Amino acid sequence: MSTLVQYIPGESAFHRLDPRSKIIFMLLVTGVIFIVQSLWVASAMLVTLILLWFLAGLPFSVLKGLGQATLGIVAFLIVVQALLYPGETILVHPIIPSPVPIVGGVGRVTLEGILFALLLSLRLMAMVTLLPLVTITTPMHSFLLGLVRMGLPYRLAYTTTTALNLIPILQAEANAIVDAQRLRAFQVFEKGNFLEKLRAYPALVTPLVIGAMRRAQLMAVAMDSRAFGATKERTYIQDIRMRRTDWAFIVCSVAYVALAAALNYLAL
Amino acid sequence: MNNNEIAIAVENLEYVYEPQGLRANKGISLTVRRGEFVGIVGHNGAGKTTLLKNLVGLLLPTGGRVAVDGLDTRQTTVAELATRIGFVMQNPDQQLFAATVEEEIAFGPRNLGLAEEEITERVQAAIALTGLDALRQEFPPALAKGDRAKVIIASVLAMQPDIFVFDEPTTGQDYKGCHQIMQIARQLHREGRTVLVVTHDMALIAEYTERTIVLCQGEILLDDTTAAVFAQPENLQRAQVTPPQITQLAQALPRELGLPACALTVEQLGQPIVERVRTNQALDLTMPLR
Amino acid sequence: MNQPEPTIILDDVSYRYPRSKRYALRHLNLAVSRGEFVAVLGENGAGKSTFCQTLNGVIPQTRGGRMRGRVIVSGWDTQQATVAELAQRVGIVLEDPETQIFTTSVLNEVAFGPENLGVPPQEILHRARWALEAVGLNGYEDYAPTALSGGQKQRLAIAAALTMHPAVLVLDEATSQLDPMGTVEVFSVVRELNKQYGLTIVMATNKGEQVAQFCDRVLVLHEGELIARGTPREIFADTELLERVMIRAPQVSQLATYLEERGVHLTDFPITPDEARRGIIHSIRGSH
Repeated sequence: MSTLVQYIPGESAFHRLDPRSKIIFMLLVTGVIFIVQSLWVASAMLVTLILLWFLAGLPFSVLKGLGQATLGIVAFLIVVQALLYPGETILVHPIIPSPVPIVGGVGRVTLEGILFALLLSLRLMAMVTLLPLVTITTPMHSFLLGLVRMGLPYRLAYTTTTALNLIPILQAEANAIVDAQRLRAFQVFEKGNFLEKLRAYPALVTPLVIGAMRRAQLMAVAMDSRAFGATKERTYIQDIRMRRTDWAFIVCSVAYVALAAALNYLAL
Repeated sequence: MNNNEIAIAVENLEYVYEPQGLRANKGISLTVRRGEFVGIVGHNGAGKTTLLKNLVGLLLPTGGRVAVDGLDTRQTTVAELATRIGFVMQNPDQQLFAATVEEEIAFGPRNLGLAEEEITERVQAAIALTGLDALRQEFPPALAKGDRAKVIIASVLAMQPDIFVFDEPTTGQDYKGCHQIMQIARQLHREGRTVLVVTHDMALIAEYTERTIVLCQGEILLDDTTAAVFAQPENLQRAQVTPPQITQLAQALPRELGLPACALTVEQLGQPIVERVRTNQALDLTMPLR
Repeated sequence: MNQPEPTIILDDVSYRYPRSKRYALRHLNLAVSRGEFVAVLGENGAGKSTFCQTLNGVIPQTRGGRMRGRVIVSGWDTQQATVAELAQRVGIVLEDPETQIFTTSVLNEVAFGPENLGVPPQEILHRARWALEAVGLNGYEDYAPTALSGGQKQRLAIAAALTMHPAVLVLDEATSQLDPMGTVEVFSVVRELNKQYGLTIVMATNKGEQVAQFCDRVLVLHEGELIARGTPREIFADTELLERVMIRAPQVSQLATYLEERGVHLTDFPITPDEARRGIIHSIRGSH
């Protein structure tokens, strides 16, 4: 999991971009992807993001890992939307006929539902490709400085980057907890049904939460001991600079999302 | 219960972590008989924790074979193995979650699907052995570090395994905590169980174990009685293992003083010194003045 | 002759954690001189960590709770000055290597403190170079802290405290999670900082055996009180005290006590293997 967001050093053009241009790119694409309704445009955007991934020289194994991680959610989305979306083109008739109050219409699958699910999935996959594209090619101190130079208060920027850094750590802790409970014959995650899994959550969540709280307290002491938040005029040993390539990249990003929006409008 | 004389049999264990391709265990072979008390030492990264995880089935060998109580770990579930070999992990905070110490200890037996009376019996026995009676109703995560460790030991004990493995039980503990934990380990051993302890505390190894295995860079460097192992300073240095201070002292003393070259405890060196001094004093009284 | 003002003064300090009825520290009165290396021993829960954290104001400012009495460090009152101001007088290294790392490179980590203080970047780089050199991590600037060993991580934490140019370095059980090699690394660095750079050291630890040969003085805490102070030799020879507070003396000291009880007296009470060796040779040969 750590490899899904952690910085991997590299020499690609994308690596060398100023973090600000990458952040702007990320914000623009995120904005558009949630407006787009056309499945064609959404797919095209996903494809371009994947192309960008390889252009940046990022490893396929990580992309594959991301894909596998989202597969579960995608399947879930498709099932839920297929069943619940208020569409009109019925593909599978309901188990309980509509006139029956409350539970009427259950089991009905509509075409619109499936299409909507696909759209949500494409959006999700695009986001999951987009974020690592930025975090893997940008060292944390650059990303932080980028956010600060764009106007985010240091504390907020710091919280954001630390949260990202903590994901792999908490993941590792969760795994360690699962292992430890397995040693006490806890097999619910291997063999239990959904209800059993739900009831068993305290065994996993409690240690994780307590661990997180302990960690937070220790970090607070350490941070204060290093004068965190001492002054608003904080200095930085590294600097970031916008170059011509960065401005060009921003212009291209704007053009890209404008094109996507336009195609979207035309397709509908 | 299994009548097998061999508690643990490891044959050419290989374990490689992917995708880094890190070979943590490189062809480890060892046998532990029922009722032994074995210490496992080695520098960080020597493969100790990987070996332990392979013993309990959390990891499966990428090469070779591990058998516990005659059961091949590749063909037995972690839950089943947990009733044969108990693993007390280094960080107890990663497991504690129940509302009371009693419930925490009951967690394991409950997962095994045992009857209520059986569970209560086991919990009681575990509490008695670990001395947790006064803390029965306490919230485990809120206890002091030494007590939390005892709760974990008790919860593992409630699974009633015959083999007990402790992974660095004394890290971060004070002397009292270390002592209590090792006393529990000794008690478990006295009751006939097989005990393995991984630790950096050489004084404890010298005091409690009969046999010591030294791991170095994924392989077994030494596997012998504790006394024999600590008598090999060059090998120990290679493995970045330092013998207890008393042993270092014994080895540094000139041999002509007639003192043991290898002492594992204060008494083992102290007693001979006292005898030497007394002998010399007696001789002095009988020798003519110079 | 006029004694210089002690670097650390605790004046009748008592402290209670928030929502706790029990006092973690009770009526502590002590002083640490400039350049001293003080070891703080005591069982877990005796107040070692609490004491350490009062020295840079984290207690009571970050942790809350109720504190009575005063702690003065380098002339600054820890309840009047801000923790940020105190951080430039007292550096602290905590027990867990993981939770005191905030960045993704060694260089950024040691720069974190001075950056927070607004120190000019050139000055920070200068301090970073010196600090990394002092702990033996020069050359590791671009390493990710997560790739370091336990001993290296703690040395990094020391360097990260040093860049704020403190006069005092407090180590709160900084070697508890480390293996013997890491422990030796940290002790060596700390001793160098004390001897070569004159840093005042306060080290809370359970590893009496290792700290015995380095420290000038030992403070023994028990249930929040300071129940003994003295040189390592004095403390480790006091068997009654050690038994009462459940502290382990170095094995060579235990040997000396064992011999003493049986009528064999070693001329100088040993706290290191070398001293014990000399004492034993003398006792056996000398008695000829």
